Amino acid sequence: MSHTLAEHQPGFVPTADPSVKIAVKGLDFYYGDFQALTDITCDIKDNSVTAFIGPSGCGKSTFLRCFNRMNDLIIGTKVEGLITLDGQDIYAPGVDPVDLRRRIGMIFQQPNPFPMSIYDNVAYGPRLHGMKKKAELDEVVETSLKRANLWKEVKDILGRGGLTLSGGQQQRLCIARVLAVQPDVLLMDEPCSAIDPTSVQKIEDLMAELKSSVTIIIVTHNMQQAARVSDETAFFLQEVMGEPAMLVEFGRTADIFTSPKDKRTEDYITGRFG
Amino acid sequence: MRENFRKELKDLKRDVLDIGRSIVDVTRLSVKALVDGDVDLAEQVIAGDDDLDQRCLAIEEHSLEVIATQFPVARDLRLLHSLGYISMHFERMGDLGVNIAKAARRTASRRGPQTLYDLIQAQGNLVHRVLEAMLEALEKNDLELARKLQDLDEPIDHLFKQFFRELARLQEEEDIEWASSMVLASRYLERIADHAVDIGDRITYMVTGQFEAPAEEEEA
Repeated sequence: MSHTLAEHQPGFVPTADPSVKIAVKGLDFYYGDFQALTDITCDIKDNSVTAFIGPSGCGKSTFLRCFNRMNDLIIGTKVEGLITLDGQDIYAPGVDPVDLRRRIGMIFQQPNPFPMSIYDNVAYGPRLHGMKKKAELDEVVETSLKRANLWKEVKDILGRGGLTLSGGQQQRLCIARVLAVQPDVLLMDEPCSAIDPTSVQKIEDLMAELKSSVTIIIVTHNMQQAARVSDETAFFLQEVMGEPAMLVEFGRTADIFTSPKDKRTEDYITGRFG
Repeated sequence: MRENFRKELKDLKRDVLDIGRSIVDVTRLSVKALVDGDVDLAEQVIAGDDDLDQRCLAIEEHSLEVIATQFPVARDLRLLHSLGYISMHFERMGDLGVNIAKAARRTASRRGPQTLYDLIQAQGNLVHRVLEAMLEALEKNDLELARKLQDLDEPIDHLFKQFFRELARLQEEEDIEWASSMVLASRYLERIADHAVDIGDRITYMVTGQFEAPAEEEEA
């Protein structure tokens, strides 16, 4: 746990459960006048995979982007309520969003390697944070590519452009690039929607391996994927068009997919609507 | 949404209910064959078993196929899994019915004390009642009725014990093979009802998603 420092900082909010990595309490989110999310409260457990599911437009990606303050980049957005990372309010004054985004990395639907070599893609973050020695960078690049299960495929072509790789490899390169700065949390916004099934399998395997060291949150439209990869599942729903979306049910993935408690969850996952 | 899938689930459940009705028939006819000493009827029940087994196997195969191809979850998954499970019970209940028919075949050549036939008939009627209630609970997803099956089963167990006591009163000259066939038939009837009670527990799970602790089984 990395509570030690944070406990002495302003904005520290103690949580009762030390296994909670991210705690969300009474979160409302607005795009200008439009309220997109209402009163969301949930705990994301450390070293686990949490899946966000729900129909299009239910706010799950919006919610995901609250965790690394990506929504700050959109003019007119507003967050109310509380999100803590290791007990620290991430919206407290003085929190550096850039540092936050190092601790909470993000993977997008479309792989987006930088137009530079495989090596430089992975070394980009560490260099930005001041790492200069080649031996150190070499080690970070190798370790990160190994953690992303890409090392064997690219170890002899590190100088080649990242964009020359296949889609699935590019996505794993992006994961390696995020891992290089040693994040605590990995946000994945439909990471497998644009890649082939074999690569999907590799990324799903990777998630299972990574969760021992990184807390993972994945937004996915693929319910089978949510069932396969996640420990906990959150179901979001915008019941009425124009009204804010809400968190309908949150629980163990095995429970959600065998015995959901809420009829709306049941109707959605069994394909009765959505 | 998912119209074909819904239809497949509906068809599967209908087929399972049909098999259940055949089980009711097998049980009723085998008891009748036993009580009336009707060998032809017993043979008819025995001959029908292969077909029943095939139908049960087809349910299991079909529900596995749907699970593999349609990725059912929640109540759909519970329904499919339970239908496969229930068809396995039906297959065993059918076998028990056949065993009663075989007992009928073995005992038909001689006539024992009427009390014992009356007891078997009474037991058969009670089992019939449990089976009908079980099928209705399955058809209507009726939780209350599913939970009642355990109570309906109790007098059947008592009758089995009474059957034992009556046998003890038999005179020595009674045919031992005849007597043991009759007591086995009574035992098979009691087992058929136990399967129905297990199916009731499964219906409860199917509807609620919760496994309820099974009631303590009384040793016969």
